Amino acid sequence: MEIKGSAMAGTLESSDASIVVAPNADKGIVIDLISSVEKQFGEDIRRTVKQVLKELDVEDAIVKIQDRGALDCVIRARLQTAVLRAANGKSFDWEGQRHV
Amino acid sequence: MDYLGLTEYILTREDQKLRGAVGAFLQKQGLRLEEGVDYTYALVDGKELVATGSLEKNVIKCVAVRQDYQNMGLTNKVISQLVYAAHKGGKEHLFIYTKPGNLQIFTDLGFYKIMALADKVVLLENKRDGIRDFVRQIKQKACFEGRASAVVVNCNPFTLGHQYLIEQAAEESEFLYVLVVSEDKSVFPADVRLKLVQEGTDHLKNILVQETGSYLISSATFPSYFLKEESVAVSSHAALDLEIFANYFAPILNISRRYVGEEPYCSLTNVYNEKMKVILPSYGIVVREIPRREAVQQAISASWVRGLLKENRLEEVKALVPETTYRFLMTEEGRHIIDKLKGLRPML
Repeated sequence: MEIKGSAMAGTLESSDASIVVAPNADKGIVIDLISSVEKQFGEDIRRTVKQVLKELDVEDAIVKIQDRGALDCVIRARLQTAVLRAANGKSFDWEGQRHV
Repeated sequence: MDYLGLTEYILTREDQKLRGAVGAFLQKQGLRLEEGVDYTYALVDGKELVATGSLEKNVIKCVAVRQDYQNMGLTNKVISQLVYAAHKGGKEHLFIYTKPGNLQIFTDLGFYKIMALADKVVLLENKRDGIRDFVRQIKQKACFEGRASAVVVNCNPFTLGHQYLIEQAAEESEFLYVLVVSEDKSVFPADVRLKLVQEGTDHLKNILVQETGSYLISSATFPSYFLKEESVAVSSHAALDLEIFANYFAPILNISRRYVGEEPYCSLTNVYNEKMKVILPSYGIVVREIPRREAVQQAISASWVRGLLKENRLEEVKALVPETTYRFLMTEEGRHIIDKLKGLRPML
């Protein structure tokens, strides 16, 4: 999926994450993570983000995450939503996306 | 905070009754609902307001949570909503204007401190190194390494007075940064003002004309400037703006002198200039005040020009502005602005 504009999903409330996905003019994936549990789970969150982007065929994007201790499934959901919005997508293949 | 059973309200400008309630609530917290606010979010428990926050363009302000509802995550909910609303309106680069006591709350939410004035105000933005990157970009365009000077101007519109000030400053300096206010709250739009400064200073070779972005004399750094009303806030807003100049613009651009035109008319600008003479020298920056250029024994000012335009006295305007500005006034776009001044078209 091609990131066409900047889009946001999620909130700053506890146990959630606020994620902004924007185009990256320099190509590649840039992850800017701020997390209240950075020390404990920073790497796990980054891994999840990379995986979701790969599943959605996103090659170039800037992903800004403000994590407030969200569970893995929440981060996945918020990121998928943000990517879909940023790609101006109308439909999403919810079933087919986890064929890893 | 669904478990608290709070009701959400989003206030528009027209919603006078609720605005009154928000205003009264903020007053109890030592704040006030500012004029320019264009989006307000409120959380109500039963009939009582317990938390609120507002948005003025890209600035989050007037955020307050009632004492007995603090530490329940309501600030996060308010900020989330405001960030989301701003984002939907295409504004991603956001600022927060708040009391220094709230600094920690907002840095936890992903905002970065730009500048704090002890026990008065603190300004934050949601971009890491946003201001440094902005000033560094200006530096790159200048390709100049030595000691420079700066002048910050609004030019609404660009007059012979501004031209004279810039010429004087350029003559006395090795290199001059001309920073034109970007905030779009003047009759002449920001892009027009910038263009007229560029055209009217094209003959000067040792200057660089750039925009101030959100970082100088903007609704983020100097909210009361655009209200043009005198309040106690003016002096602390002015101080915040000047501290930002002294701590970011001056060191990165190697500015050792700031030029300013003498201000015989506007008392608010006068407060700013006086403050400048106190703050900047403490950072080793010299403030040079240039007397206004006069025409028919009266100091030229943009407000004078606007007054003449309003009365359609174009011949007199011709004597007060550079040819480039006059030529613009004769274009369709220029006519349109003159009509706005005359009140024939609604002001933006």
